[in-house]
Amino acid sequence: MKKYLLLLAAFAAASSVQAQKLVIKGSDTLGAKLVPTLAEEYKATHPGVSFEIAAEGSTTGIAAIIDGTAQIGMSSRRAKPTEVSAAQAKGVNMKPTIVAFDGIGVIVNAGNPIKVLTKRQVEQIFAGDITDWSAVGGNPGPISLYTRNTSSGTYQDFKDLAMNKRDYASSSQKMAGNEQIAAEVGKNPSGIGYVGLAYLGADGIKTVSIDGSLPTKESVLAKKYPYARPTFYYTNGEPTGEAAKFVDFTLSDQGRAIVEKIGFVAPPK
Amino acid sequence: MFISKSKWLALFAALTMAAGSALAQDSGPLIDLLVKKGLVTDQEAEDLRVSLVKDFAANTSAGKLNLSSSLSEFKISGDMRMRYEYNSQTPELSTGAQQVANETSRQRFRFRFNTDLALQKGWTTGFGLETGQSSDSANQTFTSFADDYGVFVTKAYIGWQPNLNWAFVIGKQTNIMYSTDLRWDADIYPQGVSEKYKKFIGSKDTLEVRAMQHAMADNNEQIPSASGRDAWMFENQVVYTHWFEPENLSSLIIAAGYSAYNQSNVTAAPLNSAAFTGSVRAQDYASLAGEVNWANINGAGTAFKVYWDSSYNLTGATRAFKVYNLDPTLFNKGATAWLAGIGYSYGTGKTQGDYSAKFDYRSVGVSATDPNTNDSDWGFSKTNQKGLKLALGYNVTDFTKFNLTYFDTQIIQSGMTFSLGNLDRSHELLVDLVVSF
Repeated sequence: MKKYLLLLAAFAAASSVQAQKLVIKGSDTLGAKLVPTLAEEYKATHPGVSFEIAAEGSTTGIAAIIDGTAQIGMSSRRAKPTEVSAAQAKGVNMKPTIVAFDGIGVIVNAGNPIKVLTKRQVEQIFAGDITDWSAVGGNPGPISLYTRNTSSGTYQDFKDLAMNKRDYASSSQKMAGNEQIAAEVGKNPSGIGYVGLAYLGADGIKTVSIDGSLPTKESVLAKKYPYARPTFYYTNGEPTGEAAKFVDFTLSDQGRAIVEKIGFVAPPK
Repeated sequence: MFISKSKWLALFAALTMAAGSALAQDSGPLIDLLVKKGLVTDQEAEDLRVSLVKDFAANTSAGKLNLSSSLSEFKISGDMRMRYEYNSQTPELSTGAQQVANETSRQRFRFRFNTDLALQKGWTTGFGLETGQSSDSANQTFTSFADDYGVFVTKAYIGWQPNLNWAFVIGKQTNIMYSTDLRWDADIYPQGVSEKYKKFIGSKDTLEVRAMQHAMADNNEQIPSASGRDAWMFENQVVYTHWFEPENLSSLIIAAGYSAYNQSNVTAAPLNSAAFTGSVRAQDYASLAGEVNWANINGAGTAFKVYWDSSYNLTGATRAFKVYNLDPTLFNKGATAWLAGIGYSYGTGKTQGDYSAKFDYRSVGVSATDPNTNDSDWGFSKTNQKGLKLALGYNVTDFTKFNLTYFDTQIIQSGMTFSLGNLDRSHELLVDLVVSF
């Protein structure tokens, strides 16, 4: 009998080790590169932990925390008041933790002569008021707009930061992620789009200066670049267990180094 | 100027306490400023934002509303009006019969409640509720023994304004036509489709083209002939508005229009005053209306206006003699209606102490206007009348208004037995107290 009990206890212990799976859902900005890299490094020192990472947009990350289907929700935008109150109604206590800062860079094709735009011009281009490059000093030709899809935090953040909350032009093409936008703009000489700092080095694109400011670590931290924003992990209250350890790892020197290496700006200590 | 960290934080705390939880909605810029000043860290700022939102959601009524993110404006408006009404109608009777003045004295009320929603991409929608089921009046008379009364849908519309120039509305909607109550009762909300194109001329002048397709009657298509065809009114108008420099406060408005019906009948009697049931043929109205406003004519806030309206039925003879069956040897076709008025006001009627006075005189030929759309008060919506209207208004508060209105009409052509044109004399006095919100 004792043997059976010991076996049962051993099985239970093994199961609890196997159960150390962190489910992380949300932002493509964080979930495409940064968080998977952090997860790989974390696993190296925590071999019993596995990750399930789904990067389908910030809205899905916040919804996952409200629904209790993830321990960490990645978001490149702040939770909306309606989301916070919806969480509250379900007894979920939305807790944001800043994991990195990001600058949303406005990108054009590398062959485009445009180097500088004003905030007003950016708003007019993405809202559809300006539809030809000649209106902003470029070569005559229609402007092709690339934006993120509607579940993306970057989609909403760019509206808030750059467009006075106006709607995107109906002609804009909605892309699933930063990489797709960078790729399309890189291929299309008349293209313009926006991507996070980590994606500004993609082939075939260049970053446009906004009111004389480029998205850099310094301009983002000093809050001088107009389209800078914090990115978040959302948890239900203060994180606990493995989620707490992973959040701590992200904010540790090792995690911050990864944040910087991927192309984001680590938050000040 | 140096402001210490503690002073900034004290300022924020004071603002938060003073404005209560509602501050959560607007505190973003203030929190950003605190971060920029280095008074709180980014992480502290995020925790503060969430706390404020939670507090707002939990402890305020507004925070419990869950409005669609597609809404850009949610507007609720309306008014409550208490009215005392005295009127007297003296109908023409057949020769030899003793004339009778039918006097009425009654207490009435009108409640209106509007919800107008502005959505993204230029879309709008909304509805309105009113007492009184007839299209041309929302008044409800206080009847027997504290009865309860009905409320009716008076507006239900969807609008789309793709840009500053174009606007489209479908449904039961506010009348877009520039007009006086000579042709359109202000209580009528037409049902159908309307289109408006506005061209800007110079800094402020505008030229507008307005069109409306108004469903007047839904008929049974199983019935052959015009009685089985839905009745539609088509009204089109060009409205020019000019502002006089240098102040651009005084203005001139000129509106020229034309309206006509399809070949159909109004088969079911409408609920409006002096309703006409029958053929809508031979109603081809050309109209010309307008006003000149002189601002600050007697000091700041004062205004004097001259206004006019007119209607001419291009097929008035057919209407009078074929539809109304009048005798052409006895009666003129009465195809012309006109109105001329003056007004003087102080303020816009939205501030305590504002007042206004308007006086107009009008003459309405028997076939000159549509009896189903004209004012229900003046001459009780009947035609073949001439007379005056005097209206006085005074703002007791910004939102409470006292109004006095008097109508006096008399017949133009005597001897008609036709019910729309046989009112020999009428008076009406309306005393109103209106609270708007």
